[in-house]
Amino acid sequence: MERREVVFIDGVRTAFGRAGPEGIFWKTRADDMAVKVVRELLRRNPQLPPGRIGDVIFAATAQVGDQGLTLGRDVALLAGIPQSVPGFALDRMCAGALTAVTSGAGEIALGACDLVLAGGVEHMGHHPMGEEVDFNPRFVSERLVDTSAVTMGATAENLHDRFPQITRADADAYAVRSQRRAAAAWANGVMRETVVPMSVFTEEGWRVADRDEFLRPDTSLEGLAGLRTPFRAGGRVTAGNSAGLTDGATACLLAAEETAAELGLEPRMRLIAFAFAGVEPELMGIGPIPATKRVLEQVGLTLDDIGLFELNEPFAVQVLTWCDALGVEPQDVRLNPYGGAIACGHPLAATGVRLLAQLAYGFRERPDVRYGLTGLCVGMGMGAVLLWENLGTGH
Amino acid sequence: MAPVTDFKLARAGDVALVTIDNGEDWTKPTFFGERALESLERVLDELERGDFAAAVITGKPFFFAAGADITEFPGITRERAVEGARVGHGLFGRLRMLPFPTVAAINGACLGGGVELALHCTGRTISSAVRHFAFPEVFLGLFPAWGGTQLLPRLAGPETAIKVIVSNPLRQNRMLLGREVAQLGIADRLLEPAEFVDDSLAFAGELVEQGLERTEPDWSDAELIFRRARTAVDDAVHGAAPAPYVALDLIEGSREWAIAEGYRREEEAIGELLPGPQAQASIYAFHLVDQRAKKHPARPTAAPRKITKVGIVGAGLMARQIALLCLRRLELPIVIRDVKQEIVDDALSDLRAELERQVEKGRYDEGKGRFLAALASGSVDDQGFDDCDLVLEAVFEELELKKRVFAELEEIVTEDCILATNTSALSIADMAADLRHPERVVGMHFFNPVALMPLLEVVRAPETGETALATAWELGERLRKRPILVQDAPGFVVNRVLTRMTRVIMDAIEHGTPVDEVDEAVMSLGMPMAPSVLLQLVGPQVADHVLERMHDAFPDRFPLSPALSALAAGDEPVVLEDAPRTRVQVVEEVLEAVADEIHRLLEEGVVAEAADVDTCLLLGAGWPFFLGGITKHLDQIGMSERLFGHTFADMSAAAPA
Repeated sequence: MERREVVFIDGVRTAFGRAGPEGIFWKTRADDMAVKVVRELLRRNPQLPPGRIGDVIFAATAQVGDQGLTLGRDVALLAGIPQSVPGFALDRMCAGALTAVTSGAGEIALGACDLVLAGGVEHMGHHPMGEEVDFNPRFVSERLVDTSAVTMGATAENLHDRFPQITRADADAYAVRSQRRAAAAWANGVMRETVVPMSVFTEEGWRVADRDEFLRPDTSLEGLAGLRTPFRAGGRVTAGNSAGLTDGATACLLAAEETAAELGLEPRMRLIAFAFAGVEPELMGIGPIPATKRVLEQVGLTLDDIGLFELNEPFAVQVLTWCDALGVEPQDVRLNPYGGAIACGHPLAATGVRLLAQLAYGFRERPDVRYGLTGLCVGMGMGAVLLWENLGTGH
Repeated sequence: MAPVTDFKLARAGDVALVTIDNGEDWTKPTFFGERALESLERVLDELERGDFAAAVITGKPFFFAAGADITEFPGITRERAVEGARVGHGLFGRLRMLPFPTVAAINGACLGGGVELALHCTGRTISSAVRHFAFPEVFLGLFPAWGGTQLLPRLAGPETAIKVIVSNPLRQNRMLLGREVAQLGIADRLLEPAEFVDDSLAFAGELVEQGLERTEPDWSDAELIFRRARTAVDDAVHGAAPAPYVALDLIEGSREWAIAEGYRREEEAIGELLPGPQAQASIYAFHLVDQRAKKHPARPTAAPRKITKVGIVGAGLMARQIALLCLRRLELPIVIRDVKQEIVDDALSDLRAELERQVEKGRYDEGKGRFLAALASGSVDDQGFDDCDLVLEAVFEELELKKRVFAELEEIVTEDCILATNTSALSIADMAADLRHPERVVGMHFFNPVALMPLLEVVRAPETGETALATAWELGERLRKRPILVQDAPGFVVNRVLTRMTRVIMDAIEHGTPVDEVDEAVMSLGMPMAPSVLLQLVGPQVADHVLERMHDAFPDRFPLSPALSALAAGDEPVVLEDAPRTRVQVVEEVLEAVADEIHRLLEEGVVAEAADVDTCLLLGAGWPFFLGGITKHLDQIGMSERLFGHTFADMSAAAPA
């Protein structure tokens, strides 16, 4: 059987909220947030007959409570998608949504179905990291993994240790740039296109969540320099140069290229290749480096062929290690042109599709760019990178 | 004390988003008490000052608003009733006059004042998940007095206004679904629940952009419509309750009156009605069945026995109805026993046919219907009873027969199986007297028709154990009945009071009062059914049989009735003397007899307080809310004071809590 081409049609997310009782989504269910983005996709793509959807794949790191009940199926039913459409949940922590996309892409490429909804949700307020995790004592007794590997902030401090050339000042400078770029992005169209406002019930009654709660457009180097380092005395990782604990949901529509043409759905970009890679768990932030190299090798491209990079920013130092290893300047305009997770937040399993949606928007803004890359690092030492081709112009 | 409701204002772009919230989940209704109205006033100040393009008002998740806080109503004065209506008119009127479009986004239960708030908005959206939309006021002896009688006919026409304000409340307080509210034109948009508030915000945007086209209501047949409506009200309450008539007058008047005049008329009328006897009795009755019966003070605290299988002895009319109820509510195996195989077979095929009807109606899918049918089995001997956790007997009302049934059962069932009896008048202590374990015997007296009548008299004999009592009570709740604890006394509550009343009625007939006259007299009280019709429904033989049982216990007050015996034998009622009573006399005699019997059973301690008697009569005999069961009415007309020197309410106050 011949492999079919897989294209990205559309992607949306909720605004990202601060996890915890102060956050706007505190009284909102995770599955309702996922339903919201799914319904928005259906509304924005009326040519899509819901019954034609072949699978609904949702990622969540915590698959209990309002993120339990094999989320994709649960969300499909709650969203009013016909019962004949199946769904499931998957987990690769921060790469959950990207894995939902590659999994759905696999179904499409093999001809198992024509259309897939893929996304992720993480309500970190309802599900604090590590909730109900029973860490196998063998990890410690056999020294399989350094104990710092389970605390993401500690792995970021480890990166500073391993790459001493990356300083706290570098990280803070990167964070300021991320906030500035995000502020500019909220003024242009990217957020209007990719963020769907959602009415949510709160202590103060119903409100509309339509803006990321971590945005700090007035962030300054001076302000960041004064922040404490919660993961280590005298450390370098602060609340200001890392992504906060976040509630959010994302979803995207993938299609076989021929199905998109049949239904009149505009394909925005084509999935060219993807790779997942494993690294030392206590240095999980370097995961995207081998993943990027592997993806480029697969298709015989070099980094210079790539015009846009949408990378997650759990920690500024994490992005900086990738820049360092691949020879990309941190201020490069190709890298996270709309800011990143430091400014918008990082709802673990949901983030991947935010990167895709923003890349698709970037492709449209930059018709000259042919290839773009979305990537992130994953807890327990992994990296995920997806390579896309811009279909917005005549490439 | 109900939680306080707040109106909370947020901004969504240029739209004001107002939430009606009492800080509790959907199980705690949101009411508009005095402090809620103060909160609304503050939000109106902000809305009037603010630069909004539109406003959307909605409820906390799954609940819009349940209207006025009726706990503020008992004992209210005329002045305060008028003032309450005036404050509501003032605030809702300001909402109506806001200089921008307003949308009530009805996301859940919307009752009474909640509906009126919504009617004062420019437009309304309603969720297709809404199941409770109603003006219950007339059901409570009131009418919607925050503009409901004036705005609903203006919006949806007189026919719809009458249906929603008058007819539905008189039909067991029937409520509307979201879909129906939209069909009637009361809501402008029926929206899916998933993104209801988002979509309502979008509708508000539409209102700002393009306004709203509505068809003018049709008043062309008004005269006929109102004439028909008044006749229908006569048939339902026979003039005994003023509220539906007042509501009709106000709806009719809305055609001519300016809104301010309509408000004034509502204020005037509510000042008369709310402190009046019918409304006060209705509020009392509503409290009994809505609050008190759900968390009854006498609810047993012992652990009930877990029920996994129910046995039913007897396959007659009551037994079949109870069996069906058990199947549908418990979804557990049941076994029916009777003496003859063909009776058992007939009962089982009856059950299956009824389940098939339910499947046809779409209430169950085919598989579920088959599953329920398969749960029922029958027997003519002991088979199938050895693993029952509770066996209920519903055989013929004869003490010796029932004793024999229980004696036989005791040989078959497990040591701790509960034995329940559906007797309506026999002594449970006598029935259990010769058993090895009389403590397992308890009364469970259902009312006919079992599917519709909510009352269950749970009867405690002196020997009845706590487990048996708790099990009967819990089973009753699982069957969605309202249990009331009664002591083992002849006729318990409902049959004792009804039979005493029947005896008075028969006496009038035996003295040559025409049946029609007696019927009219009793109907003028507001009773739901003419006694002669009720008698046919119950069956004169059954009624006569119960009278005999009551006669055995209290021969003085329950003399045997030649007229009833004649009716039971299929003959015309016997007239002994030509001394017909007037209607007024019949009413007086009926009420005096009822008062006397209730007073006696309270003194005997058959139930703890008058509230229990009233609950029994409301839920087991269908007596009207506006009589408050009956003791409220007897107190209101001064009869209890005159007969006993104190009211029934006084007796309750003196009773140990």
